[in-house]
Amino acid sequence: MSDAVADRPKPIVSRFDPRFEVTLYRHVGVAGSHTLPYYREHGGYEAAKRALTTSPSAVIDEVKTSGLRGRGGAGFPTGIKWSFMPPADERQRFIVCNADESEPGSFKDRYFMEDDPHQVIEGMIIAGFAIGATRGVLYVRGEYYLAYERLREAIAACHAEGILGRGVLGSSFDFDIILHRGAGAYICGEETALMNSFEGLRANPRLKPPFPAQAGVYGLPSTINNVETFASVVHIMAKGGAWYAAMGTDDSKGTKLYQVSGPVARPGVYELPMGATFRELIFDLAGGPTMPAKAFIPGGSSTPMLPWTDETLDLPMDYGSMAKAGTMLGTGGVIVIPEAKCMVDAIYNIVRFYAHESCGKCTPCREGVATWLPKMYQKLLAGLGTREDLVVMEDMVRNMRGTAFCPLADACAMPVQASFKYFRHEYEHLVDHGEPLHARRDWWSA
Amino acid sequence: MKVTVNDVEVDLAPGTSAIDAVFAAGYDVPYFCSQEYMSPVGACRMCLAKVGAPRKDRDGNWILDDETGERTIFAFPALLATCTSALSEGMVIDTLSEEVKHAQNGMIEFTLINHPLDCPVCDKGGACELQDRSYEYGSGRSRFEFTKRHQEKHHPLSDLITLDRERCIHCKRCVRYFEEVPGDEVLDFIDRGGHTYIGTVEHGLPSNFTGNITDICPVGALLDATSRFRGRNWEYDHTASVSLDDASGSAVVVDARTGRIERIKAGLHPEVNKSWIDDGIRFGHEYTADPERITRPLLRKDGELVEVPWPEAAAFVAERLKEFSGKDVGVCIRADATLEEGVAALALAEHLGTGQVDHAPRYGPTVMPPAQATLQELAVSDAIFVVGDVSEEVPAVDLRIKDALRGVTPPPLLPHGVPIADLRLKERMPRKREILCVAAPYRVDLMRHAGTVARYDVGGEETLFRGLIAIAEGGSADERVLGMTLAAAKAFVDRLRAAKKAVIVTGGFVLSSQAAADAAERFARAVGARQLVLGPMANAYGLEAIGVLPSHARYDYASMVAGGAKALLISNLDPAADPAVAERLAESRLLVVHDMFMTATARLAHVVLPAKSGFEKDGTVVNLEGRFMPVRAAPVDAGEAVDVTGLVRELGLAFGVRIEGRSVRSARRSLRKTLGTDLEELTGLGAFVALPRRRVAVSVAARPGVRGRALRVPTMVRQEYLLRNPHLLATLGGPALRLHPDDARTRALSHDDEVTVRVDGVPRRLRVYVTDAMPSGVVSVPALPDAPAGPADVDLDGIVVERRRLEVA
Ligand SMILES: Cc1cc2nc3c(=O)[nH]c(=O)nc-3n(C[C@H](O)[C@H](O)[C@H](O)COP(=O)(O)O)c2cc1C
Ligand code: SF4
Ligand code: FES
Repeated sequence: MSDAVADRPKPIVSRFDPRFEVTLYRHVGVAGSHTLPYYREHGGYEAAKRALTTSPSAVIDEVKTSGLRGRGGAGFPTGIKWSFMPPADERQRFIVCNADESEPGSFKDRYFMEDDPHQVIEGMIIAGFAIGATRGVLYVRGEYYLAYERLREAIAACHAEGILGRGVLGSSFDFDIILHRGAGAYICGEETALMNSFEGLRANPRLKPPFPAQAGVYGLPSTINNVETFASVVHIMAKGGAWYAAMGTDDSKGTKLYQVSGPVARPGVYELPMGATFRELIFDLAGGPTMPAKAFIPGGSSTPMLPWTDETLDLPMDYGSMAKAGTMLGTGGVIVIPEAKCMVDAIYNIVRFYAHESCGKCTPCREGVATWLPKMYQKLLAGLGTREDLVVMEDMVRNMRGTAFCPLADACAMPVQASFKYFRHEYEHLVDHGEPLHARRDWWSA
Repeated sequence: MKVTVNDVEVDLAPGTSAIDAVFAAGYDVPYFCSQEYMSPVGACRMCLAKVGAPRKDRDGNWILDDETGERTIFAFPALLATCTSALSEGMVIDTLSEEVKHAQNGMIEFTLINHPLDCPVCDKGGACELQDRSYEYGSGRSRFEFTKRHQEKHHPLSDLITLDRERCIHCKRCVRYFEEVPGDEVLDFIDRGGHTYIGTVEHGLPSNFTGNITDICPVGALLDATSRFRGRNWEYDHTASVSLDDASGSAVVVDARTGRIERIKAGLHPEVNKSWIDDGIRFGHEYTADPERITRPLLRKDGELVEVPWPEAAAFVAERLKEFSGKDVGVCIRADATLEEGVAALALAEHLGTGQVDHAPRYGPTVMPPAQATLQELAVSDAIFVVGDVSEEVPAVDLRIKDALRGVTPPPLLPHGVPIADLRLKERMPRKREILCVAAPYRVDLMRHAGTVARYDVGGEETLFRGLIAIAEGGSADERVLGMTLAAAKAFVDRLRAAKKAVIVTGGFVLSSQAAADAAERFARAVGARQLVLGPMANAYGLEAIGVLPSHARYDYASMVAGGAKALLISNLDPAADPAVAERLAESRLLVVHDMFMTATARLAHVVLPAKSGFEKDGTVVNLEGRFMPVRAAPVDAGEAVDVTGLVRELGLAFGVRIEGRSVRSARRSLRKTLGTDLEELTGLGAFVALPRRRVAVSVAARPGVRGRALRVPTMVRQEYLLRNPHLLATLGGPALRLHPDDARTRALSHDDEVTVRVDGVPRRLRVYVTDAMPSGVVSVPALPDAPAGPADVDLDGIVVERRRLEVA
C-alpha cells in the first residue's frame, strides 16, 4: 500500500463508526414527519434550492463524485446514467421514480414514501433539474396505499407553496410530478415495463436499446431511478459528494438501507454505510436470529442465498464482495432462513411468486418460470418426486438462465440454483423419502 | 461490415440483425417471433446464439490477443437473441456449439410443454413452423408430465378467422401485425404469465386486413375460416398468381384441392403488396365453387336455355353473326380481363369489322397519368394527398401509404430475401401523420391516420382541385369547397410543393368526371407531384394501353347496350340489371353472354357461354403502376368454362378462320409485336414495359344528371360476387346502403333492415347500415362493374323495406 493511500482517512464502513450519522431514514418513524412544515423545519428543500442555483452539469458532477450507485437493484452508477441523456432539444424529457418496490424481502422504499415523501420529491426535483426534465413520473406500487396518499398530499402541499409547478422554489426551473398508481404486478418494477404500464399499455418489458434515455416514457428521453437513489441525491447535494464518498468501500460508496426479515429479534429497515458486514446488520442491529439459521438471502428474493457461516456473515455488504461471493447485493433485502425450514418449500415459495408475476412475453419465463417449475415443486412437495426430477429441474433452470427477455426469469432461476448448490441434500431427502428433511410446521402460532 | 458466422465470413450493411447474418451466411437458426416486414421483439427466444465481438481500447485501437496478434473476441456473457442484436464490426456468431444446441433444444421443449401436439388434426400440419423446428432442433421427447394448459380450441375471432388458443405459442406476430401494418389495434394479449392468451375486446376484427394473421401465425392457432378442415397442406396445389380483385396487382398464392379453390394466401411481392393482402382478396374466392356456376354452354331452344356442346353453341353464334353487318355488332369485356383476352376481343372485333369494342367499367379520363408514381415511390413519399377511399378501392395502396407514415424505407433484399428482422422497425412507432391529407365526401378509414382531413361535397372533386390550384397559385378558395380550413389547405399545398416525393392518389370519384381528372392532373403539375390513379378494375390500365377501346365515342359500351349494337357479345358484365336496358336488350337480335352465373343479362341471352374466374386463366395484367404481371391458372375444375381467348378460339373454329388471340400464346405473339416484349418471359415479379402513352380519345357518354346527394362507392369486396361468398357475406351482412343516423331516423329505417331501393333507376336489394361516417343527407351504395364509383341517384323516397331487422326482445 502506498503512503498516499495510507494517509487517506479510513472509510466509514460501520454504523458504529462515530463519524456515521443516520441520514436517509432520520425522519422515518417520527410522528408528523410526512408534512411539509416538518420537512422544512428540518432543512427540507434547501438542497434543491442550492442545486437550482448551480448548473445541471454541476449537479451531475457532484453525483458522480459521490460514487452513488442506483438502489433499485442493479447498482448502476447514477451520475453516469444521468449523463446518458441526449443533448436537450424541443422534446419533453422525463425523470421517473421507480416506487414499485415488489421484490420479496424489500420494504425500504415504502417508509420513505409514508414518513418522508418530501425527501423523494426533493430528490426528483434535483434530478429533474440535472437532466433537464420538467416532468417527473412517480410510479408507486398499487398496494402502497398509504404511501400513495402521503405522496398525493405532499405533492399538493408543494403546489401550494411553489415547490412544484412554475418556477420551482423561486427559480426559473419548472417542474411537476405525475403520481401514478400501479395495478399490482411485480414486472412493473422493470423500468421499461413500468413505462408501458404508465402509458396504459400492457406491462411487458421493452426491447433495449433504445434505452430510456433515448426513448423512454412516450418514446421521449427519460431517466429512471429508485426511490432510495433520489433520497440519496438530496443529501449528496446538501453535504457534498465527497462527504458521501467517505462512506463505503472502493466500488460501493455511501449510506444505504438494508432490510432484515425472517426469524430475527428485530426485523426491519436499517441504515448502514456500505461495506458493513451482514453480522453487524443481523446481530448488532437486528438482534440476531431467534432460532438456528442455515442460510440467508443477501439482497431480495432474486439474489442467490449464502450459507450461514462465519465467513459469509463477515462479508461486507457491497456490490463487489457480493459478486465475488457469487451473489448480488440487489436491494439489500436480507432474508434469514431458519434451520428448521424445509429449503424446498422455502424456494417453492419464491418460485410461486415469480410464476405469478411472469408477464408472459417470452418463452422460457412463461413456460418455465410460470408453468413447469412450480409444477415440479408441487410434485416434489407432494412426495411424488424422483431423482430424475431433480436432474430435469436443474436442466430446466439452466435453460431459464440468461435466455429470457428480461431478468425476471433469472430472478427465479438464481435462487433455485443456489438452493441446489448448497442444499441439494434436502431435495434428495425429499425425493428419496417422500418426506421433507424438515417437517412442515406452523410458523406463526409457535 | 464484416462478421463471421461459424466458419463463414459475410459482409453486410451496418444495422443488419445477427439473425439475418446467420441466414445470409447460409446457416439456419430457428425462430418464431420474427417476421418479415415487422419489428423484431425477441419474445420466443428461439434464435439464441453465442455471440462475441472484438473491443477497442481507450485509444480506439482493437484489443489484440498477445499470442496470435489477432483481435481478441470477447464473448457476451449470455446467449443473445440474434433477432434483436445488431451486427458490430468483427462480430463472431456461433450457432452450432453444444451450448447453443442445448439452449435451442430447451426453448423448443418450453414451447411444446403447453402445446396440444394435435398435428394429426391440425390444418397447419405439414406447413407448421413449430412442427418443422421441433423436428430440426427438438429432442423428440418431452419431459413435461403434467396436464397441459386447456383453453378454447374454436374461438371465432371473427366470422373469417378462428383461433385455437391451445396451439398459440405467444409469438405476438398477430398482435404486432395489427398495430404495425394496418394500424388497427384490434387484438392483444390478455392476462399474464402462463395464462396469457390472445383476444379481442368485442367480437370481430374491425380491419380490412385481418386475414394476413393466418399467413403469419407460425402454428395452426389462427386459421382462415373458409378453408378450415378442408384439406391438408400437402394435398393442395399452390399456384402463385396475381389477384384480379383490384388494380394493385397483389401477389397471391391460390391453394386448390381436387379442382376446387380452398384458400387464397398472400404472395410475396416486395415492391407491390409485400406479403399482405386485404380480406376481399383473401376470402372472396368461394364464389368460384358456387353450385349455380355455369359450366357448359347454354343455347336458347324453344324459349329455354339448354346445355349444348361447345361446337353447337359456337356454330349457332357464327351463323347468326352472318346476319349482321360488321358495325352492328358490339363486343365488350370486363376491365379485369387479361391483356391476352383484350387482344382476343380486339381481333374478334376486327374479324367482324366493327369498331364497337370496349372494356367496362371504364371512365372517360385515362387511368395512365403522365407523371406516374409506383407503389415503392408511394411507400417512401414525403407528402401524400388522397382523394377518395383507397382503403376500400385498392387496399394495398392504403398499406403502402402506412409504410410512408412509418418513415422506414423498404428494406434492401439480402441473399436470403426480405430481412427476417429489420431492426429499424419497432413496435408502436410514431407515425408521420402530418405528411398525409385525405379528402373524401364522407369519413373514410384512412382519415384516422391523416394529419389533415378534408370532407368536401358529393361530386365536389373538380372544385376541390380547382380550389387547391388557386391556392398553389397564391390565391384563395372557399372553405366549403375545400372541405377543410383555408389555413390547413394552404399548409398542405405548401407541404406538397416542398416535398421531394409528393404523390397524389385519386380513384373512381375523380375519374368519374373528366373535369375533375383534368384538374387533378393540373394540380399535380402545379405542386410537382406524381400521380397514382386507381383504375376501376384489375386490368383497366392494360386494356386501355393496348387499345381495347371503341373507334368512336358513340360506340362505347353504354351506347352499345343502349341500342347501338344489334348483336352483342358481352363478357362478365350485367347491363340488364337496369330494367330500362333489359327492355332494350330483350329486343336485341343476338345477345351472347359470357359469364359465370345466370345474371339478369344472361337470362335474356340467346347463348350463354361459361366463363372462367380470374383464378382459372393464364394471362397478363397491368397494375395501377403500369407493371405487367403474370396471372397463372390454378388447377380448378370449371367445367367447359373458357376465358375470352378460348371463346374466340371456339368462334374462330366455327367461322373457319384462325383469329389472333385464339389462345394465350397466340395473343402473346401479337403483343410481342406491339410491346416489343415477350410476355412468356415475364417472371412472377412482373416488369415495367415501355408503353406508347396515348390519351384516350374517346370519352364515355355522360351519365344522367344526379339529383340526390348519393354516391356509388368502391368496396374492398367484389359486390357482384358477395352473395356467393358466404363467409364474407356473414361478416358484412350484405351490400350496404350507408346513411347517417338522422337520415335513418327520418325515414324510419334501422340498422340491418333489408330494403330495395332504386339506384340510377336500377332496383337494388341492400342492407341498411347506419353510420355517422356518412354526413347527414348523404347516402352511399356499393359500386358494381356496371355502375362504377361516382355520384349516383338514389331514390330514397321510393325505398321499400323488405325485411325488418330481427329485434331481440
Ligand atoms: C423484474 C424486475 C423488477 C424490478 N423491480 C424494481 C422495483 O420494484 N423497484 C426499483 O427501484 N427497481 C426495480 N427494478 C430495477 C429497475 O429496472 C431499474 O433498474 C431501476 O429502477 C433503476 O434505478 P436505479 O438506477 O436507481 O437503481 C426491477 C428490475 C427487474 C428486472
Ligand atoms: S422474462 Fe420474459 S416473460 Fe418473464 S417477465 Fe421478462 S419478458 Fe416477461
Ligand atoms: S426471439 Fe423470437 S426470433 Fe429471436
